[in-house]
Amino acid sequence: MHDNVIDRSKDITILEVLDRVLNKGVILTGDIVISVADIDLVYLGVKLMLSSVETMEQIKSGKSVNV
Amino acid sequence: MINDLIYVYCISNSPPGHIRNMESLGLKSLRFGDFYVMMKYVSESEFSEESLKKNSSDIQWLEINAREHLMVIAMIMEQTTVIPFTFGTIYQSVDSLNKFIEDYSGSLIANFRHIGGKEEWAVKIYCNRKVLNSQIDELSEEAAVLEKQIMASSPGKAFILQRKKDVLIEDEIDRICKNYGQLYYDEFKNLSESTCLNNLLPKELTGRGDTMILNANFLVSKGKVTDFKSIVEKLRENDGKPGFIIETTGPWPPFSFISIKEKQ
Repeated sequence: MHDNVIDRSKDITILEVLDRVLNKGVILTGDIVISVADIDLVYLGVKLMLSSVETMEQIKSGKSVNV
Repeated sequence: MINDLIYVYCISNSPPGHIRNMESLGLKSLRFGDFYVMMKYVSESEFSEESLKKNSSDIQWLEINAREHLMVIAMIMEQTTVIPFTFGTIYQSVDSLNKFIEDYSGSLIANFRHIGGKEEWAVKIYCNRKVLNSQIDELSEEAAVLEKQIMASSPGKAFILQRKKDVLIEDEIDRICKNYGQLYYDEFKNLSESTCLNNLLPKELTGRGDTMILNANFLVSKGKVTDFKSIVEKLRENDGKPGFIIETTGPWPPFSFISIKEKQ
């Protein structure tokens, strides 16, 4: 088995995963699909998650946090 | 809880063998003529239109399910050519899925022909503007000329010229990024069958300090993959400028090179 994405699955960021599996491949053919508006919300969620991680790191490292 | 909705991962054109965790994930392979659909039954409470809308805003739920989607397809890709479905594609019944396959069979065959024997590789290039800024006098003739003038000027004039240079630097960095981005892109493109440019992701999403200047996917014949991967080393040795970071990842399921069109 060669070294493909499965073997590195833990290293793949959630952003990398979403960038691939949302809005690509066979799209808009199912009876139910995630709408484009929902995808925007998903990215907003990721953005909030990343910024909260950053905030946590700033708090841990003792830097001031701009709110 | 009744699991009667059909969640589809991918379609393959030969029967997939057994894959890791197949039973625990509830995966099933259904045959429709020459096509094999990897699917699982899911509940309305999780995957009805309303539930999907609600769940997709729950990052934890999304992360677990989106990762599973990608990994299942990647495992099947190890055995056979796959047409991946976008995350969260649900059919109400086997009949409905069968109708999709019948209506789109010509398009599915064309897609299998397009992606067969090839792999999807991703290339992301980032630019560290601070690094380019620090060596701008070597990278930009105009900046070097201005720098000489600044050195030879009175403090007052030097101040004004420095302001002018600061504006110039931003434009020059943009130009340098564009030129190198294009140069690198062309190198990868020359070894590919197809390419797909994606939106550049902002720093808020990448969580990185540097700036993304290229986000592209390439469809590469299996015989050319080694050469494709060695481009990165070649660029680093020959043309690679400090300040640019090139990342290649793959092989990915060919999400970027699927185009499904309904029967006319």
